[in-house]
Amino acid sequence: MWTAEQRQRLVLEHEILQKEGFTQFSVYQDKAADTYSAHGVTLSNAGYRYRLYISIPPGFPYQRPSMYITEPLPLLMADGTPVTRLGVSHQMHTLEPSSNGMVQICHWRDARWHSSILLQKVFLKGLIWIEAYEQHIATGRPLAEFVRTMAETL
Amino acid sequence: MTTNDPQQQQMIRDAMKAIAERKPGRAKLVYDKTKRTIVAVAEGAQMLRALNITADDADMFAVVTLSSRWLREQWPLITRDRIVSAMFSSWDDGDAFTQCCLGVQPSPSVIEGAVLLGDGAVTPDGTQLRVLFTPVEGSSFDPSTFAAPDGSAHHAAAWRTVNNTDEAVTAVFADVQPELATRRSGILETSVLSDKSVLCIGLGTGGAHAAIELAKCGVGRFTLVDRDRLSVGNVVRHPGGISQVGRYKVNVVRDLIHEKNPDAQVLTYPVELTYENAEIVKEMIAQASVVICGTDNRPSKLLVNRLCVEANVVAVYGGAFRRAYGGQILRVRPKRSPCHECFVAAMPEEASDVEVSSASDAGDIAYSDRPVAVEPGLSLDVLPIANMLAKLSLLELLADKPTSLSILGRDYDAPWYLWLNRPEPGTQYASWPPLSESSDEMTINRWYGIYFDRDAACPVCGDFISTLADSYGLDLASLGALPSLPSKE
Repeated sequence: MWTAEQRQRLVLEHEILQKEGFTQFSVYQDKAADTYSAHGVTLSNAGYRYRLYISIPPGFPYQRPSMYITEPLPLLMADGTPVTRLGVSHQMHTLEPSSNGMVQICHWRDARWHSSILLQKVFLKGLIWIEAYEQHIATGRPLAEFVRTMAETL
Repeated sequence: MTTNDPQQQQMIRDAMKAIAERKPGRAKLVYDKTKRTIVAVAEGAQMLRALNITADDADMFAVVTLSSRWLREQWPLITRDRIVSAMFSSWDDGDAFTQCCLGVQPSPSVIEGAVLLGDGAVTPDGTQLRVLFTPVEGSSFDPSTFAAPDGSAHHAAAWRTVNNTDEAVTAVFADVQPELATRRSGILETSVLSDKSVLCIGLGTGGAHAAIELAKCGVGRFTLVDRDRLSVGNVVRHPGGISQVGRYKVNVVRDLIHEKNPDAQVLTYPVELTYENAEIVKEMIAQASVVICGTDNRPSKLLVNRLCVEANVVAVYGGAFRRAYGGQILRVRPKRSPCHECFVAAMPEEASDVEVSSASDAGDIAYSDRPVAVEPGLSLDVLPIANMLAKLSLLELLADKPTSLSILGRDYDAPWYLWLNRPEPGTQYASWPPLSESSDEMTINRWYGIYFDRDAACPVCGDFISTLADSYGLDLASLGALPSLPSKE
């Protein structure tokens, strides 16, 4: 059951996304199930299409939301194997994939998450991950070489 | 006995037995004023053979300790039936017998005993220890005299049966709660903490030690929460011992609490603290006088923080840095001092420096291609932090009671406390001066109370939403509804 404070926070998160130019992303409520998510389609600098999907957990914002890449599916590594095969990988900055095969991007670990972090920052990390991923595809080098360890202060 | 001469040993034993049984014997013990010692004098010897007996010799009999409370409760039955059975832990090859009901952890060797009133009762076969009560007149009480609830006084003599022969045993009584309270009096009054309730979340070395220390102080109620079982690797630090391996830590600590404070009420919950069971934890917090959070992961600390702030219950968070090179404690007085969320926002690096003391902790932060080693610190490096955790909790429990500890309110006023065991290379503390060279600079082995302000925009204890809206030029009153979910995702 969502509190009034949580619902207000999510509306505010949506407004901040729109106001700060992240208009490709929105916060949505599934009224039938009374669940929330935030997602949208974005284009990389090279023009490739990706869909980022954030699942809003019942404990949000105190509980860390998970962010997935739902398009393209499957998301492949430079060697042609699915990224999900790596599981929790430091080299590719990924966490446990979803049960239906979506890559989960490591934006903040639980040990670093706190409730002041906005969804805008989470999406920003997703966008950075996508650019680094494309560098990985182009060079074959680990994604981690293109992004510094995701610090809390980003 | 300090003498190794079997003849002398037997003489002393006979003399002591004769005294214990109040019977004349072939030998007797007398106090030699010249030698200022007790001597044994054998009858019939051509020369009186005096044996110097030290205080250690006089304590040569085994001891049986009976619970005064149990005796008072059983006294009507004892006076009616003249005999009541009781179980005793046998320790150290029969050197000490402790009535099992005195504690929760019996000896590996438990024997059957009987408490008898008068000489008439017959002990059943298999009884290995007898305690005989006989009425005494007058008001002279010694450690073997029991004051019965009906006002009568009874002397207790005891024997154990070894190879079909009786050996005298000294009987003493333990009135647990009054004796424990006596030791605390002067600092803490008898019942000042008996109605206080402490919720301990996380019973690793620090949390377990703090809980047991508070039990020693007389805290009367505990609720213990921890999902883990005690492992062999824990034993080098945890108060639980090797014989407890495999048990839930909540149960191990419950028993250790009862060993120190038998009357404490202890509730145990071997569960993980997650958002899914937040409602249960909320109820626990509502019942608590203070919460001790000794978990070593941020999500659980932030969850406890939010629930405690909502419930207006003081929480004390303790943790060691990696390899226990130091540690820190945060005490949160809701709305009066910074909360844990304020702390994380103000000092993210300090808040993230945690000890990795178990495989579970390591797994939480490891990657499959970059494992994290389990690197616990030494027990002696964790205990200063655990002690401080207990001390700060104790002061919070006593906040509304005038005690001789009240004066410490001025000393423990800061919200955050820092302790260093060593100037760990690679940390901001590496350049701290040696302990011996510093007069006014920060050094190891000292507690530092550090002040920092509440975050007015804290999502937990501040006004995050309004501040956030203001910072983006948004008017909360005019925010629209969320867009409809796209029809096909």
